[in-house]
Amino acid sequence: MDSSNDDALDIIVSNVVATFRTRCHLNLRTIALEGTNVIYKPEVGKVLMKLRKPKITASIWSSGKIICTGATSEDEAKQGARRLARCLQKLGFKVRFSAFKVVNVLAVCSMPFAIHLIDFTKNNRPIASYEPELHPAATYRIKNLKATIQVFSTGSITVTGPNVQNVATAVEQVYPLLFECQKPLCE
Amino acid sequence: MSSRVCKTCGGSDIDVDQARGSAVCTGCGSVLEDNIIVSEVQFVEGSGGVSSAVGQFVSADGPVKAPLLGSGFHTSVGKESRAQTLQSGKRQIQQLGSQLQLNQHCLDTAFNFFKMVVSKHLTRGRKTEHVIAACLYLVCRTEGTPHMLLDLSDLLQVNVYILGKTFLLLARELCINAPAIDPCLYIPRFAHMLEFGAKTHEVSMTALRLVQRMKRDWMHTGRRPSGLCGAALLVAARMHKFRRTVKDVISVVKVCQTTLRKRLTEFEDTPTSQLTIDEFMRVDLEQECDPPSFTASQHKAKMQQLEQELSRKLDDVEGEISCYKDEIESELEKSRPKLRGIYAAYAKELDPEDSEVLSVASEPEDPDVEENELQAAAQHLTQEFLGQVIQEEEGLGSKTDVGKEEEAGAVKEGSVHQRQVASLDIILGKLPTAASLQQTFIESESSDKPDDEQSESGELDLDGIDDQEIEKYILNEREVQVKTDLWMKQNAEYLQEQKEKEERIKKEKEQGTYKEKPKKSKKKKKELVEASSAGEAIERMLEKKKISSKINYDVLRDLNSRGTGSGGGSSPNRPPSAGPPDARKKLNRRRRRKTSDANRDLAANASLMGKRVRLLISSTPKKKKAANQATDQVTDQVTDEVPNKATNQEENLVTMATDTTTETPPEATPDPKPQTGPTPTAPPAAGEEEEEEEEEEGEGEGEEECVSALQLVGDYGCEEEEVF
Repeated sequence: MDSSNDDALDIIVSNVVATFRTRCHLNLRTIALEGTNVIYKPEVGKVLMKLRKPKITASIWSSGKIICTGATSEDEAKQGARRLARCLQKLGFKVRFSAFKVVNVLAVCSMPFAIHLIDFTKNNRPIASYEPELHPAATYRIKNLKATIQVFSTGSITVTGPNVQNVATAVEQVYPLLFECQKPLCE
Repeated sequence: MSSRVCKTCGGSDIDVDQARGSAVCTGCGSVLEDNIIVSEVQFVEGSGGVSSAVGQFVSADGPVKAPLLGSGFHTSVGKESRAQTLQSGKRQIQQLGSQLQLNQHCLDTAFNFFKMVVSKHLTRGRKTEHVIAACLYLVCRTEGTPHMLLDLSDLLQVNVYILGKTFLLLARELCINAPAIDPCLYIPRFAHMLEFGAKTHEVSMTALRLVQRMKRDWMHTGRRPSGLCGAALLVAARMHKFRRTVKDVISVVKVCQTTLRKRLTEFEDTPTSQLTIDEFMRVDLEQECDPPSFTASQHKAKMQQLEQELSRKLDDVEGEISCYKDEIESELEKSRPKLRGIYAAYAKELDPEDSEVLSVASEPEDPDVEENELQAAAQHLTQEFLGQVIQEEEGLGSKTDVGKEEEAGAVKEGSVHQRQVASLDIILGKLPTAASLQQTFIESESSDKPDDEQSESGELDLDGIDDQEIEKYILNEREVQVKTDLWMKQNAEYLQEQKEKEERIKKEKEQGTYKEKPKKSKKKKKELVEASSAGEAIERMLEKKKISSKINYDVLRDLNSRGTGSGGGSSPNRPPSAGPPDARKKLNRRRRRKTSDANRDLAANASLMGKRVRLLISSTPKKKKAANQATDQVTDQVTDEVPNKATNQEENLVTMATDTTTETPPEATPDPKPQTGPTPTAPPAAGEEEEEEEEEEGEGEGEEECVSALQLVGDYGCEEEEVF
């Protein structure tokens, strides 16, 4: 049931967050003045640089740590990060690309059925939690995968995890549970 | 209190009267001790007239070391930190729980939760308030009481989501599975608040049925239960002919108008809404509905589908049009003389060159019929950018030539567009960045390569990165200048601030007063002051601890000098430990710090005096002396009046004392407590006067001399004597 339905279910990765370090101190003012598409936030102490080709926004700190967000795949994130490092290199800093790590992946997926959240929470007591006063979705946390799944009553789910593989596994894991608590459609 | 040998007769038979606090020798009748510490139970009147015993439980299995009197912690001495935390937690739970009208059983359960939380160290890094609220809400959920998280956040004035976060965390850590909220729980509560009088029960029942119906129609998943209740109650009220407006309901239910209306609309969409009142009460429809958001998204999906179909049809039509267009263009070209070859392209202006680039770049990728369309699209896109590219011809010219084949149609199109664009160029001026990016876009399309492995040495792997493209991200000198100017102007304020800050730091460094960010200085444990008498002890302590420079010691001295006559006599009677005076002194300081407004309000005359004094004392130092003299007189009057107005003030001060005792946390030293018990009037009075005085003198600049605390103590003695 899983594999056949996996083909039907497309998991759309909407955001990948990655960090890396340049191992050298960066002068934010130089970057701000000599780079295109940069926003300098001196109060916080960082520069936001947006790349166009892989659509990526990078937060650059003067210590040399950089966070890249907005990529749609892990490879894209890496490419964007390298482009960014190259750009900084051209600006004159002795940049070395190190410690690249994908930190977070956000994916959305839509089930073809509605889900009865209360039953779902009851069946998966400690792992799932549902607080209608606070958030309309039930939260299901898979500890060993370190993934969090938010289940909405319409059947769409959002999954966040440390890498794409985990996210896919999480969806596979949770699918049968959701299938049990589905709400039969009337129309 | 030890039975000693009598000094006069040498007899060892000494009668110690606990109540009177005196030790008398039965042989000769000489009084050996008077006013020793009595171990009597003192009672104190609390708020609401409740009398409670003064004192604290010291656990038998607590810390073995003797509690340090006075010095050491200001908090409850003799208790460990854990016990203190639990005690404070219990108190807060009682307080909050009583506001929610929870019964004792619930409060006890909440306290148990709290104990579990503390033992799991989950209180670290969280406000105790939040933790307490979360514990209480856990109890509410497990017991099924109709309390909402919103109520708790209202009481605490905290964002409900913050509380919710804490609550979720605690529930997870304690593995407590709180049952899901049923909107039916809230109905009786809200119905009661809406005041339906005798028919409350009926309306509640109707509303319950409505809510159940809503549940079956899938309106309740993912929604706040209070919203549903509001809608149900509104309808139920109307059904029973009560006129309750939307505003009434939302004020009770705590949702906003929009939400309520939305719920009503959703309910309207269900088939149940078509029934009449009677039918509804009798019949239950079998059919169930989809959740409203589901239907909405389905609706959206349908719309999207329709749009897609439309756009596809449009595309087809467009394709036809562009085909025609191309054919026309090619016909036109045929009628004109063409230049072939790369070199011919150079002879022309560079705009067509660029357009060639566009066409050539896209060529290798799409050698199909769609190429024309793509080019058309690319042309449309680049029209705006072409104008500015003229400026960058030098740089571009070298890069863009690679062996290209020109396509006649493309060139012609380019030239056609170029004429239109020339004017654009003049108008728009130089915006090289956009154009360069345009170039980037095209070049990078061709230079897409797969990524390589990570290099662990930190070397930047340059595969797949086009240098030229990257360079587009960097502005050239003129651009840098422009941007610098802009940025400087924009952030002028911030830069100004930074400059000032630096200058200030420089100055301070020169002066030698420069401090790094003042870190919170840890409270040093106060050393025991060893002295033979109280006065000496206080003097020593004062030397160590520098008293504020804002206190006018002259006045203090004068104040105390009045009492020194009698105060001197009583001071030897004071127990010869450094503790109590220190404790009292600290108590005063603490009281001062806490600026107990209660003190001011309650003791009417003192506050009146205070007002007069404050009027006299202005912030200018010139008036100070006059003011000080005035304060002298005033405080003299105060000290006179205090003993005179015996009953009134005593009562006031007693209540004041109890207030202060209740205000100061139970971790207060046990010392001040038993002492405030027997001497409720004096310390507060003196403390109060001192409080006011010192604060008044604070308003005026203080003198440099250090007052001897003996005088301060003497003051106490004086008061005490006169009162008793």
